[in-house]
Amino acid sequence: MSHQRYPSTHDAVKEPHSVSLKVLRLSRPSLVTQFPLQPPLSATSVPSTGRRPPPIPASLAYDPRDLLRDGTLTDPPAVNPDPFILSPIVNLPPSFGSAYVGETFSCTLCASHDAFGSVVSSDEGDVSPPATHKTIRDVRIKAEMKTPGSGTVVTQLELIGPDSSPEDDKKGGVDLAPGATLQKIVNFDLKEEGNHVLAVTVSYYEATEVSGRTRTFRKLYQFICKASMIVRTKPGLLSATGTGKGRRWVLEAQLENCGEDVMQLERVVLDLAPGLGYTDCNWEASRSAKPVLRPGETEQVCFVVEEEGEDGKGVEEEEGRVVFGVLGVGWRGEMGNRGFLTTGKLGTRHVKPPASAVVKKIAA
Amino acid sequence: MERLFHEAAAHSRVAVAHRNKCAFTFSISSTDYSAIQAGANLDAATRPRSSTKGPLDADDIPPSSSPLSPQQPPPRMAPPSFNPRSPVATSPLTRSAAGSPAPGRRPTTRPGPSPVPGGPHKDFSFLLRPEIYHPLPPSNIPAPFLLNQPAPDTPIDALVAGGHFRAAAIAATNALTSADIDPTDHVRIFGLLYTRLACLTLIDATALAAQEVKALEDLGSAFYLDEVTGEHLVPWELRVFNVRLQALGFADHRREVMSYFELAREGRLRLADAMARHDNSAKEMWRERIVDLGVRVAGALVEMDDVAAAAEHLASMPGEKLGMAKALLLLQMGDVDKARRCVSGEKDGEVVGRVVAALADMAEGEYGAALAKWEELKEMDLNDEMVGVNMAVCLLYVGRMQEGKVLLEDLVAAGRSSHTLLFNLTTMYELCTEKARTLKLQLAETVAARSGETLGGSEKTNADFKL
Repeated sequence: MSHQRYPSTHDAVKEPHSVSLKVLRLSRPSLVTQFPLQPPLSATSVPSTGRRPPPIPASLAYDPRDLLRDGTLTDPPAVNPDPFILSPIVNLPPSFGSAYVGETFSCTLCASHDAFGSVVSSDEGDVSPPATHKTIRDVRIKAEMKTPGSGTVVTQLELIGPDSSPEDDKKGGVDLAPGATLQKIVNFDLKEEGNHVLAVTVSYYEATEVSGRTRTFRKLYQFICKASMIVRTKPGLLSATGTGKGRRWVLEAQLENCGEDVMQLERVVLDLAPGLGYTDCNWEASRSAKPVLRPGETEQVCFVVEEEGEDGKGVEEEEGRVVFGVLGVGWRGEMGNRGFLTTGKLGTRHVKPPASAVVKKIAA
Repeated sequence: MERLFHEAAAHSRVAVAHRNKCAFTFSISSTDYSAIQAGANLDAATRPRSSTKGPLDADDIPPSSSPLSPQQPPPRMAPPSFNPRSPVATSPLTRSAAGSPAPGRRPTTRPGPSPVPGGPHKDFSFLLRPEIYHPLPPSNIPAPFLLNQPAPDTPIDALVAGGHFRAAAIAATNALTSADIDPTDHVRIFGLLYTRLACLTLIDATALAAQEVKALEDLGSAFYLDEVTGEHLVPWELRVFNVRLQALGFADHRREVMSYFELAREGRLRLADAMARHDNSAKEMWRERIVDLGVRVAGALVEMDDVAAAAEHLASMPGEKLGMAKALLLLQMGDVDKARRCVSGEKDGEVVGRVVAALADMAEGEYGAALAKWEELKEMDLNDEMVGVNMAVCLLYVGRMQEGKVLLEDLVAAGRSSHTLLFNLTTMYELCTEKARTLKLQLAETVAARSGETLGGSEKTNADFKL
């Protein structure tokens, strides 16, 4: 899965384990690309006129036809939109990819009773018949995540099984026949930049005809979580509406995609302190399309923040600062992968209106 | 937390750049048709030189007409002075000067009749040089597939029909470089060249095809026109295919978009011509070709990672059959709600709508709901490979990989062998055991044993099995 891993030596016994652990990061599956080719491919045929023939099936992401028992081919339903580059068939994630703050990290953990005898650390190796008659019972998986800011504290991860319910600890482990796999899924919300370590512990009871023992091993998967968005904000004072209401500010923010993937902004919201309200001045207000940001591109958003009461009643102020609240940004990445982050507390220095000279100073 | 910024000017530049990216979706106007009145040769390349001015710079284009929409016949009698800055009016240059293969550069070593000066037969011996074509050793083919190779004298047509694309690519090269090919037989030469390049892309050797296609140089050059009739000597399919391959070869996707528009311009002239002749068959063909080019432009934009422009471009096209393409693009972008809405009015509504709904669930991360939808589609007895593969992927995401693996193995047993199917199955093998290699080799043997009757190409590469 990840870039590095450190085999751990929990077991004093050097004998290879009968259970293997494999992991796959479950980012969204990806639509498979295709480059449809027009017949004729042969040198002798003459270009035809009239309706375009269907593309060569081998150039499509999958063969849309069905082979009937009598050897004839069916007419495909028009699901695969040739000659378009994207097809509706999906691939599992080919690699770990990049992990970004704001996204949910999903990963599947597979503990298998390796059917081909003892486990060796490499994929290479001869096919040996099952060497011993080992029975594998009571297989348990435990997963923890260590985050950069957590110090020595680790987060215990909830394991999700096929019935989508959290694992019941009292239920105990699972017995695995040769070749069988225990599959679990973990989810973790990435909130910090930096080194994360997923630690997976597998324990099982290995019984031979004459004896039995409990064995445990642990694997560490390290990955780096990066920021995918930089948020820069700037508050400014607006003149009051004159209707006798409270003060007004404009809060601008630049959202920069600093990741490596295209993202589409879904929503920007303010979560304001009591006594404040806001007007959204962005794509939802203008009913325009949601902005798409390619890597390195920036979108500017804007809100009008307004005191709901008069004369600053109910607005929290700390040492001459008006605290607005936090800005939340939600986006979707490739194949709908969700991201959401909130800023720290935003605010502005308290200014008694009308004081245009001071306003200029702040804006400068 | 609070940082002031001083980048407003820089930001507005970003916005302008983005608008320009989208602008070329409208970049060929109906003014091109002034060429008809001017009596210009239909095939003469009349576009401005791309090095100085391209669609991205187009500022003289009325944004009202959709360039790739055959449903909107252009005004037949546009006054010649309609737009003095139109490409037709401003560019007397053709592209023949620099890009075309000059006779002096042609090797003279090849036997064969020399072209009659000024006559209708052109000498294409510059495409017959053996050094253009790369060898295709079987080193990346799994051993089981090397056991059932076709006989060396199998005709190319049979090799292609049998899915032996590597053998067909080699045979095409052998025919092109043999002594008994007539360098003026352009039909045969271009047919073989298309076979060669197409087969290369079918065996995951697109990079080689992108190198070999450079031998054609500039297909827009007047050299490729029949001097008597003005017809283009290269078949349409090869001209379209050449666009993407040359873009890859020269690492210039922008040029790909421009070249498709250029072909579309010619297509519209042909369409107008067919309409004037009341030739319904040709009319239909050119309409389909123009739409095809429009879809390819969207594909090129996707390859350039500009999905927003691709979506905008597709939205500008008349969309009888494009609902699925639009929905997939929106899903790729992450705009799930809009993707669902895209296919509501589809003619093939039922299946297409259900497929998009299931994919949208996956994009929402609702794999359980998606799984139920794929199961329903499977119950409909479609027996579609895509439905089976996507269902198996969903099974893995809900923690039922074992069932998914069995489902994929059933598809292989039923004669399916797409890259996607094999990739997903071998990925599951890797998750099941430390000794996935053994299972992968077994899978290669299974697929090879059925290769005569499978639907896809019959020869797979090591990469297909992640070996």
